[in-house]
Formats: sequence, C-alpha cells, structure tokens
Amino acid sequence: MEYKIEKKKAPGRKDVEVLGATFEEGKPEGEELGKWRQKLESREEKLKYLQSGERYWYGKDWYGSEKRKNPA
Amino acid sequence: MAEAETKSIDNASIKMIEKAAADGANTAFDRAETMKPCPIGAEGTCCKNCGMGPCRVPLPKGKEETPKEKKERRGICGATAETIAARNFIRMIAGGAAAHSDHGRGVAKLFLAVAKGEAPGYEIKDEQKLLQLALDFGVTIGDRSNNEIAIDIGEKALAEFGKQEGEVLFLRRAPLKRQELWRREGIAPRGIDREIVEIMHRTHIGVDQDYRSLLRQGVRASIADGWGGSMIATELQDILFGTPAPVLGRINLGVLKRDEVNLIIHGHEPLLSEMIVVAAQEPQMIELAKSKGANGISIAGMCCTANEILMRHGVPLAGNFLQQELAIVTGAVDVMVVDIQCIMQSLTTVAECYHTKIITTSPKAHIPGAIHIEFDEHNAMESARAIVRTAIENFPNRGSNIDIPKEQTNLVAGFSHETINYLLGGIYRASYRPLNDNIINGRIRGVAGVVGCNNARVKHNENHVTMVKELIKNDVLVLQTGCSAIACAEAGLMTPEAAEYAGEGLASVCEAVGIPPVLHLGSCVDNSRILMAATAMVKDGGLGDDISELPVAGAAPEWMSEKAISIGQYFVGSGVFTVFGATWPTLGSPEVTEFLFKDLENICGGMWAFEPNPIKAAHLMIDHIDKKRKALGIDKARERILYDMAMRRELEAA
Repeated sequence: MEYKIEKKKAPGRKDVEVLGATFEEGKPEGEELGKWRQKLESREEKLKYLQSGERYWYGKDWYGSEKRKNPA
Repeated sequence: MAEAETKSIDNASIKMIEKAAADGANTAFDRAETMKPCPIGAEGTCCKNCGMGPCRVPLPKGKEETPKEKKERRGICGATAETIAARNFIRMIAGGAAAHSDHGRGVAKLFLAVAKGEAPGYEIKDEQKLLQLALDFGVTIGDRSNNEIAIDIGEKALAEFGKQEGEVLFLRRAPLKRQELWRREGIAPRGIDREIVEIMHRTHIGVDQDYRSLLRQGVRASIADGWGGSMIATELQDILFGTPAPVLGRINLGVLKRDEVNLIIHGHEPLLSEMIVVAAQEPQMIELAKSKGANGISIAGMCCTANEILMRHGVPLAGNFLQQELAIVTGAVDVMVVDIQCIMQSLTTVAECYHTKIITTSPKAHIPGAIHIEFDEHNAMESARAIVRTAIENFPNRGSNIDIPKEQTNLVAGFSHETINYLLGGIYRASYRPLNDNIINGRIRGVAGVVGCNNARVKHNENHVTMVKELIKNDVLVLQTGCSAIACAEAGLMTPEAAEYAGEGLASVCEAVGIPPVLHLGSCVDNSRILMAATAMVKDGGLGDDISELPVAGAAPEWMSEKAISIGQYFVGSGVFTVFGATWPTLGSPEVTEFLFKDLENICGGMWAFEPNPIKAAHLMIDHIDKKRKALGIDKARERILYDMAMRRELEAA
C-alpha cells in the first residue's frame, strides 16, 4: 500500500500535510482484474473448488435437496 | 408520432430507419410493412412436405368448425390439420436444434484441433472448466497434460452428435427427478443428430401421423439441443476462450466511431471473431489504419457473436437482429463480417447504398454479393488479418452521408452460472443458497429467463423491455440471453443502477450483492447456462426436487427463429412454463395447441403459453411463479420458531 500525502488547510495555519486515504477503491483495473477464476492457480485448487463450489454436481459430503436423509 | 417511431422504441434505431428512408435503403422494417405474413402458414396449417401439395387446411373463419368440416379438413395424403400443425412445429424444432448443435459441432472440432496442436493461435484458457468436463465425461485427469485431457473430452463431445444409443451425457447434470422423468416418458435423447434426423423422418409423408407422438419427439430433440448441442457449444467455448465474468461494456449504434475503422462482427460463433479481436490490436494493423487516415480500429459486435466477445473481452455491442441493416445505414461501417445464423441476405443490398463490404466466413453460409474469406481453424489468424486489412483499406472509401447516432448505454455482462455461484458466496463458500434463501423469504418472488429474437412484425425491442420492467417491478430476477439481452441492455436495465426499476425486495438483494436486476448470461446457445442455474437452485435445496417445482418461468416475447422454438421447447421439456409473444405457429389446430399449452404439463411439468401483450405475458409468468410458491409453501411469511432441546428431541423422535 502506498501512503499518499495530501495538503489541507488547517485553521490558523497555512497548508498542512496530512496522510491521505489508504483504502483500495475496488475498481477493476487491467484486463485480468475481475476475472475471478484466476484466483485458483494449481490443478489441485481447481479440483478442490469443483468439489466445494460446484458441489451440486461434484461434491460428496453435503446435504442439498437430492442428498438429504429421506430422499423424495 | 413519426412513422419510424412506430417501428422501434430505440432512438438510435429510429434515427437510422429515417436515414435509410432518406438514403433509399430498403430494410426489414419496410419489407414487413409491404409483405403481410401468409395467414395459413402462420397458423401451421399448410403442408408442403410432398409434391402433391402444398395442402392448405385452415380453420374456418369467423365460425365454429362443424364435425363434418373437421373430418374433411385434411391434406391429399389424408393428414389431418393436427398432424400437419405438429409436423410443422417439430420441423421448426429440428431446424433450431440443428443450428445450435451444428454450432456446437464446429466448436468441438476446433476444440479437438486445439488439443492436438493443429490450430495455432488458440489455447485452453480455462483449465478449471476443462477439469469440470473431464469429471462430467469420465475422462481420467491424474497427471495428464491439459491437451491430453482435452483430446479425450473433444472426442467424447464429438461422439455425442452421432451417438445412436444410450443418452446424451449432459443429461446427468439435470436434477435426478428430471432425469427419471425423461426416461420414464421416453423423451431422453439418445444422440443429438439422431433425434433431429428422426424428426425429419417422422414428418416425411406417411410416417408418424399422431400429433401427440410427433410432439413428444419434438420435446426429445429439443432436449438434445439444450442439454446437448448448445451445452457442448457453451462449455467448450468457455474452455477455449474463458468462462465469462462480469465485464463493463457499452452498447448501441453510438459505439461506432467516425474517426476510426469500424469493423462489425455479426452472427453467432466466437471462433473467428476471437482472432479478429486479437488481429485488430496488432501494432502493424493500427499503423496501417493510421496510414489510411483513421485514428485506430474499432471492433463492435452484432447479435450473438457480439454477446460472446462482449462477455469475454468487453468489446462494444452495436445492436441486435433488427439493427444489423441499420448499422450499415450509419455509413460508417467499413466491414461487416458475418459467420452463421440470423444474418439477413439484404445486408449486401443495403451495403450497395454505402461503402460497406460484407464478408462471409463460414463454408456453410454464403451470400451473393459478399466477399468470402473462409475461416480455417488451422490458419485462423491469417483469415482474421485479411478481414481487418480489408476493413482498413475500405476506410478511405467512406461517403459523405455518415451519421452515427449518439446513443450508447453502459451494461454489465458476463454472468455465467459459475460466476453467479461465485458472486453469491465467494471462492470458499460459492453457493446458490443466498438466492434460494431470498426466494424463500420472499424478497425475490422468482426467476424468469427472458430470451429470444427481434421480430419485424413487433415494434423493435418494445416487448422485451416492457416485459422485463414489469417482471423486475414485481421482484422477479431476470436472466437474459441473445437479442433480448441486447434490447434490455440498450434500455439501461443491465447496470446495478437499474435496481431503481425493481421492486423493493429484489432491489435490496441486488444492492447487497452488487448485481443488476437483469443479468446478461450470453448468447443464444448460452441458454444452457440458464438450465445450469435452474439445476443449481434445485440441488441447493429448499425449492423442491425438480426444475418444474421452482418458482421460475421463461419467455421469448419477440421470437422469430426456429432456434427460439427449440429453446422454448427445451425450457418446457425441462419443466419451465414458457410464454411466447408475437405469433404462435399451431393456432390452426386447437388440439395441437391444447397439447402444447396444457397436456405437456402432465408429461414434462412445464408447458407453453402464447400472449402477444408483454404486460399480460409478464403476469402469466408471475401467476405461475406464485402458483409454484404456493405449492412449495413459501407464499406466506411464516413465524420463525427457535427450537429448544426438548423440541429438537421431539422432532427427531417423530
């Protein structure tokens, strides 16, 4: 994180230097930002995600409508 | 009201309709006015399947049909109006399913060539989707390379088209109850091509002459489209070009640029257009453009090719089906390159009034008067460069009658099923649970898929926008594809700010998640993404065990193509109540219409409806959603009870 110094007017003084905002704006920048799938890097991570995130088809240990105790 | 204002609700289109008239360019809007639809064909009661006809068997006008008249209402071969209407209807399904599926086959062939290293310039971009399909198709993963896995997947995908026995593999993705229903009813497709061919056989003179049997085969073939050909196209395109994620784009004719070379990519396949996007960014191409007096090269999309490259690259979208001629009318389009489907033959005629060159690229789609630069997957980049070069060299030939409308709107596109799942829960808890919970608690009343074409018999974009606004106003989350998505994006409904049009409940959820109330899911083959989203809703739990139990509905308020009928039929065949506007092609046979509108519900759990008024159609959908909410017991807010241990023990003992 880069700290930004901003100049502001203070009562009874001339311009003073203060520490600026340090938050990230959250606006996507660059071509790859926003493409969430790049967060999963290794094949192991991707397979693990399929078992958790796409558990409806590839997971074994959860309880959705089709895996409840008393199937319809 | 000026005449052009009766033809479209979109200001950019209205201006270009007026300009076309001034320039002497004849467009679909003019032709729709001068040529009325054949009233017998429109109702599906004209049979031209043999040389004894065409046989016309219309309903009597303005009076009830007597039993005697009904008995006599037959073709020369004896086929009844029911048989004829059903034949015509399922031949539309065959045409639509063939179009989507042949698109899928083309993608599968390219995919295999990429896996074998025979298609330079392409690569596997989404390994995760590759692994997902390996799990779907039972392909070994282990330590094998992506290309080794992809070869097996490509071969299995291609085999789906010519498979003779068994079932289309992606049926296994559907809810278990739905799979059982398809098998029980004998409508689980065996292979994609087989079901389409069987329609052509059954509808030949003297074969299947029971409308119920014909229509069942129509359902089967349509499922082969939605859960087969279309799904293969979507999934393999995702592996090759990336699974879509939200991207900010711009839309409407205002994206064309006066000072740059304008190249429009129109059609449905992203195979070549992906390469054109890359070629147009090459420094030598930009230099060449500058040498011709342009400030750069601007790529814009049209129809579903546009949806594909918008979702993956943020390439601006110039318009939908009825805007293809109007883009040329601006006088600023240097090349319009087309691939397959929904391309008007009149493009070359309109282009004669301006300097625009039309380039066809598919060996399956030629147009007299167009330049043909064939797409060859083994040498795609060269084809792409030749196209971009042609556009640049045509830039100095622009005439003085250039008028680019200012209208352009922002939209957020790229809501694949995977991305919706991710957005609702993040990497570590991706889930449809928040959606289901908000449907159960009533903030979201239900979900609607509003898709399909433009139809020159209907005021351009009006039905789409009116219907979607009515749905979101009533807290129905809308998922969109194709030209319908483009229509609503042009009306500004695909940005988070559009929550202002939504009901309080839906708006609160959209604001919390940061999504628009109308989600862009892609092109028309990407209706398969809606099937996946619906399946995920079922599997997550709390909303029944099948798609037919969900509070959801579908619509195509301005449909015109055979593909739309196939899409509608696979929505219905998957359990979704589906309303079409504009026209309905079986009205000449009350029995066939009754079967599609009522009896199919007993077979598939979903059924068709026809309502040309978009507000009334939206309320049919809302009524259906409410019916499903009531059946699920979520129509009324329930008192929340905090169970103590004694109550839990009591519950477990019961």
